[in-house]
Amino acid sequence: MSQKPRRLAPFALLATAAIALSACSGAAATAKPTAAPTSAATAAPATAAPFTAQSYPAAAVDCKNPPAGYTGELSQIKAVDQYTVEFTLCQGDVAFLDKIAFATQGIVDSDWLTKHAADKSAVRLTNGTGPYMLKEWVSGDHLTLVANPNYSGANKPISPTVIIKWSDTAAKRLQELQAGTADFMDNVSPDDAKTVKGDASLQLIPRPAFTTLFLGFNVDAAPWNNEKVRQALAIGIDRDRLVNTFEGPGSTVADHFAPCSVAGGCEGAAWPAADVAKAKDLLKAAGFDFSKSYDLYFRPKVRQYVANPPGVAQDLQAQFATLGIKLVLHQEDNAAYITNSAAGKYPLFLLGWTGDYPDMTNWLDYHFGIGSAKRFGAHFTDLTDLLTKASTTVDPAARLVLYGQANALIAQHVPAIPLYHAGNALAARADTTGVLPSAIGMEPFWTITPGTRTQVVFQQNAETSGLFCGDESDGDSLRNCYNIYDPLYQFKAGGTEAIPDLATQCTANAGGTVWTCTLRKDVKFADGATFDASDVVATYAALWDVKNPNHVGNAGSFDYFPALFGGLLNAPVK
Amino acid sequence: MTRYIVRRLLLTIPVLFGIVLTVFFLNRVLPGDTCHALLGERATAAQCEDFNHRQGFDRPIVVQFGDYLGQVSRGDLGASLRTSESVTSLLVERLPVTVELSAFALLFAVSVGVPLGILAANRRNSAIDVLTVAGANVGVSIPIFVLGLLLAFVFAILLKGTPLALPPSGRLSPGISIAPLAQTWGLADLGGPPRAILDFFSNMATFNALVTGNWSVLADALRHLVLPAIALGTIPLAIITRITRSSLLDVIGLDYIRTARAKGLSDQRVVRRHALPNAMLPVITIIGLQMGSLLGGAVLTETIFNLSGVGRAVSESIAARDYAVVQGFVLVIALGYLAINLIVDLSYAFLDPRIRLS
Repeated sequence: MSQKPRRLAPFALLATAAIALSACSGAAATAKPTAAPTSAATAAPATAAPFTAQSYPAAAVDCKNPPAGYTGELSQIKAVDQYTVEFTLCQGDVAFLDKIAFATQGIVDSDWLTKHAADKSAVRLTNGTGPYMLKEWVSGDHLTLVANPNYSGANKPISPTVIIKWSDTAAKRLQELQAGTADFMDNVSPDDAKTVKGDASLQLIPRPAFTTLFLGFNVDAAPWNNEKVRQALAIGIDRDRLVNTFEGPGSTVADHFAPCSVAGGCEGAAWPAADVAKAKDLLKAAGFDFSKSYDLYFRPKVRQYVANPPGVAQDLQAQFATLGIKLVLHQEDNAAYITNSAAGKYPLFLLGWTGDYPDMTNWLDYHFGIGSAKRFGAHFTDLTDLLTKASTTVDPAARLVLYGQANALIAQHVPAIPLYHAGNALAARADTTGVLPSAIGMEPFWTITPGTRTQVVFQQNAETSGLFCGDESDGDSLRNCYNIYDPLYQFKAGGTEAIPDLATQCTANAGGTVWTCTLRKDVKFADGATFDASDVVATYAALWDVKNPNHVGNAGSFDYFPALFGGLLNAPVK
Repeated sequence: MTRYIVRRLLLTIPVLFGIVLTVFFLNRVLPGDTCHALLGERATAAQCEDFNHRQGFDRPIVVQFGDYLGQVSRGDLGASLRTSESVTSLLVERLPVTVELSAFALLFAVSVGVPLGILAANRRNSAIDVLTVAGANVGVSIPIFVLGLLLAFVFAILLKGTPLALPPSGRLSPGISIAPLAQTWGLADLGGPPRAILDFFSNMATFNALVTGNWSVLADALRHLVLPAIALGTIPLAIITRITRSSLLDVIGLDYIRTARAKGLSDQRVVRRHALPNAMLPVITIIGLQMGSLLGGAVLTETIFNLSGVGRAVSESIAARDYAVVQGFVLVIALGYLAINLIVDLSYAFLDPRIRLS
């Protein structure tokens, strides 16, 4: 051995020790008990200071001349008085109540937010006004929610404790249920549905579908540019066979593009029934070229709206063959699939949609509206005009009529053939009652009675990413947000109707551009702080304004807020 | 000896550097990207551009690597992109679970494997020997996930409601928790490395329950460890049994053993005093190697039994493209692996004075 290594020996020891200690010393700086306690229901005396009206931003966003890069619909939020909040929008928004009911819009105490946003501790601690509060979060293992002692709403929890565990495999979740170590579980796999049904100690609880799988056409690309060809194919596919073969409980054939759980989704005539002979005749009448092969694009990734993409693609290939059409399947890379389809690169493609919120704008406008991507080729102006009109019509009854007409136009133009609405199911122990399946995955815990046991144990798909709810986007986080944080409006337990929660009501002006919300009084946060209009302004400001000091979040992307309200304030200009 | 240790420690530097380099670049060449993994597939190009800028992923990869190295050298392993938790905190939470599981799996493998190997060697070509060898072959062939699922099915579902029933997952039954040692011992204000070390041991449920005399929690923790420890320990058990048997058979055939027998020593004494110490060298080597492979097996075991250890964390982080967690955890696992190897090598000198370490 040369001398050099010997001289380096102390450094080697130091370096190795430094790496070993780095884990420890770093941990020391941030160490916390595995059972992270949350804000207890103590402290925080009620504020007695007189309420000061406030507006955010101080000067409303000029909608006609917005700041560079601002694409959002919010202009200003005002705390008019202690219990009145006013939202001013740049244009009417008929889906406003659905949007403020979303689980990302739960209201956080303004002082607590200021204290816990900057250092990101709000990701793993909570302080809401909802039925439950977080007691502990043992990373990688479980979360424990306990009843919020300060809760004053209508959803008083039956079970005082909810323990949330997770496994990313459906079989494992089912095993927990069968072993009696869980009371209910999310997402039974289609293969396991029979097992659950055949086990007297379990019950299957189908969840209403909130998805659509469709076969899309680029209507600019031959031969799909012929509307008569598309209309023929609309009745040439046995969609019952697809849903029965590939999907599980809760799934239905798509009678319309949007599922019936969305108001207006099922307005108008249902999609025509399959008639292969008639489809063949129509194809011949349309002069379809049967001698060529055509490309069908799909991606193999399993999504909520499709359990077996290659299987569906192969079945479609077989069904097209019975019509005399040769399809060549192209399995595409997942990473680029959405981008390519949005750019209209696929003439014929398999894709789907899982709703963000239960309003038709999220289904029809996103796909066929004036601002939608060109994945189906050129827009149909009659359809875009109708959707624009529907999206600015405040009267719900009048909207339903318009969406019935829009559904008829989709059936006429056939930019896509809605194949089915893939549902899924929860399962529970037979003696567990009150599990209310939600189309949007927002199951309430407060309604559940776990037999004679004292706690509810729920098996979800994955670990909660975080509880800075405005910046979360996964269902396994947002379901907890729904149970911990109350928004101004809230989706009805087990439903998709937005009903008042922290607001007693929100009313719009004639054009739907100003929404005034009256707040409930005597509401307290879990830490005892009093709820008022300033908390609403502070919460919305933190989510909306990139320059707000509390706009920190978890990953920091706040991707739902712009999806709901059109854009973030002060976002970097590209 | 000191020179040898110093040389081995020096060698860890390039090895660790190579590991950091490999893991860092492998993470980046995986298909998919962090933005879509975290923000969902509908994340727009603008959202991803903004995300990548905030996370520094839009800088040249060499610059990112240089920054990461600097960060690591300062003892900062970064923070999880998914949960914002610091990697070092995650390590203090997750590593004890894996260490505890591996320790019990190894304990199971050694305590059953060595006696079985000795028994098979002593009764060579008997029914016991044949059964042991056949069992070892089955044990080494059965994949962890198959055995794990089978064990969970049998003990958690088929035997549900009987005294033999065992929980299929988790570290403790839902609703049972154990207070951190720092809290139990009134050391909540303790900080720095001592606190990290205390939290590390505190997060081993069995150790925590044992030292605090919390017997009901200890029993519950042990019940939860039985199935995963068996699932993880079965392959090492099979290997250890076979090596012990073959090594002992080799030694038993040597002249000095014949001499010992000729002196009139009992078979038991010959094996225990003279054959076994010499036969244990390859067994120790195998045990050391198995400690490393246990960490790999922990990925599957922890996933099957829903244990919140490093294996499951790494697996989830790879899926989420959570670079900092993957890099930090792999680095620490590698460090552990190197340390184990060094300890095994050093143990030779104590077991066999003929061996010169140079």
